[in-house]
Amino acid sequence: MALSVPDQLAQLEAARQIVLADAGLYPQIVQGILPIVGANARLELRIWGAEFLAETFASPAFASYQKENSAVGILQTLKDLLEKAGEDAAVVKGAVQTAASIYGLVFRYIIANPHDVPVWNQMASIKSNILKRWDTAATGVRICCIKFVQKVVQVQTPGVIADPRVRDIPTAPSVERSTDAAPQRPDQNEVSIALVPRDHPLIPPPRLEPEASGLLDRLLNVFNEDVSDAVLINATLNCLGTLLRTRQSIANKIISAVLNFNPMKQANSPMTPKVRVQIKSMERTTRALLMNVLRRNESGPFADRIKAYVDRLTRIRLEVFDEGSRKRGLPNEPTDGLDNNKRRRLGAELPERPDPEPLPPGPVSLGRLFTLTKDPALATFDVTSLTLDIMVRIIPPVLVRIDQQALDQALNHVRARILSLTKPPPQALGDDEEDYEPDFEPSEDREQIINKADALPAEDSLPSPSDVTLGPFKLPQPPPLTAEDTIQIGKGTISRVFSMMNVLEEAPSAKKQRPGLNRLAGSGYDKEAWTTVVTRLATRASAGLDDDGGGDEDSKAVATNQAAGSSLSNGIREMLWSFIMEDFRSRIPVAIAWLNEEWYNDRLQERGSGRQDGRAARPKPQQHYEKWMLKVLDGIMPYLDAKDKHLIRFLSEIPEVNANVLGRVKGLARDPERVQMAVNSLYYLILMKPPARDIAIDALEDLWRNYDDAKAPTAKHLAKWRPQVLASESKPSPAPASNGLQHPEDSKPPPSSAPSPAVKAEGEQMKNKQVGQAVAAAG
Amino acid sequence: MATDPRLARLDPRRTATPTAPPPPPPPAQSDHKPLGGYDGVEDGDGIDTSRNEEGGFKLRFCTVCASNQNRSMEAHLRLSLASYPVLSFGTGSLVRLPGPSITQPNVYPFNTTSYSTMYQELSQKDPRLYRANGILSMLERNLSVKWGPERWQDWPIGKPRLDQQREDKGSKGAEGGVVDVVITCEERCWDAVVDNLLERGSPLNRPVHIINVDIKDNHEEALVGGKGILDLADSLNQAANEERRSGNGNGFDERVPELLAEWQERWPQLPALWTLGWF
Repeated sequence: MALSVPDQLAQLEAARQIVLADAGLYPQIVQGILPIVGANARLELRIWGAEFLAETFASPAFASYQKENSAVGILQTLKDLLEKAGEDAAVVKGAVQTAASIYGLVFRYIIANPHDVPVWNQMASIKSNILKRWDTAATGVRICCIKFVQKVVQVQTPGVIADPRVRDIPTAPSVERSTDAAPQRPDQNEVSIALVPRDHPLIPPPRLEPEASGLLDRLLNVFNEDVSDAVLINATLNCLGTLLRTRQSIANKIISAVLNFNPMKQANSPMTPKVRVQIKSMERTTRALLMNVLRRNESGPFADRIKAYVDRLTRIRLEVFDEGSRKRGLPNEPTDGLDNNKRRRLGAELPERPDPEPLPPGPVSLGRLFTLTKDPALATFDVTSLTLDIMVRIIPPVLVRIDQQALDQALNHVRARILSLTKPPPQALGDDEEDYEPDFEPSEDREQIINKADALPAEDSLPSPSDVTLGPFKLPQPPPLTAEDTIQIGKGTISRVFSMMNVLEEAPSAKKQRPGLNRLAGSGYDKEAWTTVVTRLATRASAGLDDDGGGDEDSKAVATNQAAGSSLSNGIREMLWSFIMEDFRSRIPVAIAWLNEEWYNDRLQERGSGRQDGRAARPKPQQHYEKWMLKVLDGIMPYLDAKDKHLIRFLSEIPEVNANVLGRVKGLARDPERVQMAVNSLYYLILMKPPARDIAIDALEDLWRNYDDAKAPTAKHLAKWRPQVLASESKPSPAPASNGLQHPEDSKPPPSSAPSPAVKAEGEQMKNKQVGQAVAAAG
Repeated sequence: MATDPRLARLDPRRTATPTAPPPPPPPAQSDHKPLGGYDGVEDGDGIDTSRNEEGGFKLRFCTVCASNQNRSMEAHLRLSLASYPVLSFGTGSLVRLPGPSITQPNVYPFNTTSYSTMYQELSQKDPRLYRANGILSMLERNLSVKWGPERWQDWPIGKPRLDQQREDKGSKGAEGGVVDVVITCEERCWDAVVDNLLERGSPLNRPVHIINVDIKDNHEEALVGGKGILDLADSLNQAANEERRSGNGNGFDERVPELLAEWQERWPQLPALWTLGWF
C-alpha cells in the first residue's frame, strides 16, 4: 500500500466512474478491486468496497450472464468481510445487500455446476452468517438481513417455469433488471428451486424448501412481536410484495400474517411524535401493500378480507389521529379500564348494541336508518337474496329466541334516529337577520370554491328533514287548455296512433285467430285494433258535439263548439285519408273499415235526430260518408292500373254505392285501357250487390250508349240484364261523350234502402270532370 | 438501452441548451457556495465542509412531485445548492402546466420535452399570462437545474446516469442512479412511489427511505416546502454522518422516524409520512 487512503479512494472512485460509463468492464474492474478492499484493507476502503459491490451487483446495466461469474468470484471476499470480527456496520450492510443480490446468481450457477462444492459452501456459510446476525445486529443491518431472507425464500420456493422452448436463451446484455425481475420476461427463467433437479447433490429441493418455509415464518414473525419496530416492519412489508406476486404457493400465508398485524398496536402508549410517525407509516405501508395485492387481483380469495381490513384501518386511524388532535386535553387513560383501542387489541368485544354507530351526516336511506350493526359485511347483506321459504324457516325460531331487552333497545335507537332526523336543522341566522345581506366577497379563489363544491354532497341529496314525515301530497291543478291547445294535443295523440299503425304494419297475420262474431273490436293491440280506434275516433268521438246545438243554447257557442269538434274529427279524417293515400293498395282495408264506420255513424246520427221529434229546429246532422267516400275514390282512381282489382274490391265492400260513385266509374271508360276495368266493376256490382244492381245497369247502359270503346264489353252484359237497350240500337245517340257524367239517369234515386244521394255542388262536379279528362289525356 | 426514453434528449439537448432564451437566474448559474445561505439555512455551509473531510458522506436524495415542475424542482434546486446529490421526478401521467383556464392546461409528455421547449412555446403563446402566473419564471429556474421533467415510473433505477444527465444540478454523487432518500411532495405521489416500488419487485436489494412532505402546489408553498425539505435533508445527513463516524453500528435507518418526528415539530405545517422501501 504505497498510496495514502484518500488517494486510493480517489483511484477507486475513478475506476467506478469507468464502469458506470461502460458496464462491459465490470468483470475486470470487480476482479481488480477485490484485493484492495478485502478484509485486511483499511476501514474506509472496506466501506467503499462493500458499497461498491452492493451497487455493482444491483446494477441493471451489469449484464446478468457476466454477473453470475463475477458473483462466484467475490464469494470469498464477501465471506471474509462478514466473518471479520467486529466489522463495521456499514461494511456489513453493503456485504449483506451484495449477498442478497448474488444469492440467486450463485444458485443458478450451482444448478448448472452441481459438483462445485467449494462455491456452494462459501455461499452457505455467508448465508448462515447473515442469518445469525438477523436478530441481533443494528437495525440498519437487520433490514438488509430481512431483504436477504426474502431473496432466499424467493429462490427456494418454486416459481413459475417459463416455456421450456425459450428457457435457455442466453440473456442479452441489454437486460436492465436483475434476475428477480424476470417474471415479466419470457426469455429469462426466474431463478427458483423449480429449476433444480430433484436429485441435485448440493441443493436438494426436499431440504431447501422446508428451510425456505421456516425462514418465511421467521420473516413474518416480526408482525407478532409485542413492540413493533416500524423500520423492520416497513422493510418487511415492502419486500413482501414481490413474494406475493411471484410465489403463489406462499401468498396465502403472507397475506394472512399481514391481515393479522395491527399497525395501531402502539396507539395506547403515550403518543410521542416519534410514535405518531411510526404508527402512521406502518399503517400506510400495510395499506399500500394490501392495495397493491388487491389491485392485481380484484376478485382473489382475499379481496373481501383485504377490503374489510383496510376499511377498519382507516376507521381506527381516524379515531387515533383525529381524536388525538382534536381532544388533546383528554387523559389517555381509559375511564373504564378498557378503552376502545385496547379492547380491540385484546379482542374483548363488548356487545355492539349499546353503541350503534351514529348516522352519518347527509341523506340517510331507510335501510341505513334501521341498520344498527357495525359489521360492514352484515350491513351490506341483501336479505332479498334469500328465498321466501328459507325466510319462513328462519324467522319463527329467531322470533322465539329474541331478547326482549335487545329488541327494545334497538327500537329505541331507531326511534332516536328518526327523532333526530325530523328535527329541523339548526338555523344559522335569526329571522330578523335574514334581510341583512352584506356584499359577499369570496375569500377563496374560484378553484378552491369549485373544489369545495365538488366535495359537497349532490344538491338533490341534501338532507330534508321532512322526508320522514310526508303528508298527503296534492298535485296543483293544471292551467286550463285553450281550444288551440286541445286541438294541437289531440292531433299529437292521433299522429301517435298513426305511428303505431305504421310500426305494426308487418304484424304476422299467418296465425291470426278468427274469433268470428265473438270478436271484440280493438281488443288486441295490433294494427287492426288501432285502426278501429282511429276510425271510431274520427267518426264518433265528436259526433255528439257536432249537432249538440240545441235551441236553448247561445247560437254563437254552438258555432264554436261545432267548429272545434268537427275540425278535430275532420282533422283525423284528413290524416286517415292521407294515410290511406300513401299506400292505398295495402291500406284499402283501412279505407273500407273507416267508410263503414262513417256510414254507420251517419245512420246513428240520423236516427238520433229523428227520434227527438219534440225539438223542431234541430238541424239535420252532417253527413260524412259520401263526401269522404268520394274523396277516397277520387284519390285512388288516377293511380289504378288496367288490371287492378282494387276498385272492384273497394266498390263491393263499401256499405253504399250511389250514382255519384258510378259516375266516377264511368269516367274511367274514357281511358281506352281502363274501359274493361270500369265494365268489370259495374258487372261485379250487378252480380253481387243487388241493392245497387239497377243503378249499375243504368251506368252500363250509359257506357254502351256514349263510349265507343265500351260498346263491345258492355253489350254482352246488357244482353243479359237489359236486352231491350240493344234492341233500340237503331235510335240515335242522345248526347255526346263529354256529357256522360250528366246523364239524366244519374239523378234517378237508387232502388236500395239507402237515402237519396247527397246533392253535389256544381263546382265539385266540375272538378271531377277535370280529373277525368286529365286522366284520359294522360292515358 | 434502446428503450430508455431519455435517450431522446440527446439531440434536442445539444441544440436546445445554447438557444435557451433567457439567461438562467444568477443563483443557479454561479457556484453554490456563496449561496448556501440564500434561503436562510445556515448549516448548509457546515455540511459543505464536512463533505470535504475524510470520509465526508452525503446522503443521496430524490425529490418527487406530480409534474416534476414546481415543488420537486424547487426542492431539487435547494438540495443541489447545498451540494447534495439529488435527482427529481414526477409521478403524473403527463406534465401539466396551468393554461388560460382551469380546463385548458398545457400538457407535455415526460422525458422527451425539455424545460426550454416549454419555455419557448409558452412565451410565444401568451407571454403576459405566463409571466404573470409565474410559469415562465418557474421554467427559467427549472431549465437551469436540469434538462427536462422525468417520470418516476420510467426511471431505470440503478442504471448509471448518462453523461448528459451529469450536467444536471445535483448529479454529482448520484451517478449510480440510486438514492438513499426519496422525498415526495404530496401523499398521492408517495402512494404512487411506494406502489411502484412494490410493482418493480425490489430487484436491487437496496433500502430507501420514502418520505412525504405535503406541500400545496403553488409557488409560495413550494418555496416554504423547499426550505423544509432542505432542513430535513440536513438533519438526516447529519445523523448519517454521526452514525458513520461512530463506526460501531450504522444506526441511521433506525433514527429516521425520530429525526422525522423532530423535524415535524419544527415544520408542523408540512405533514410528513415515511416508510422504508426497497429499490
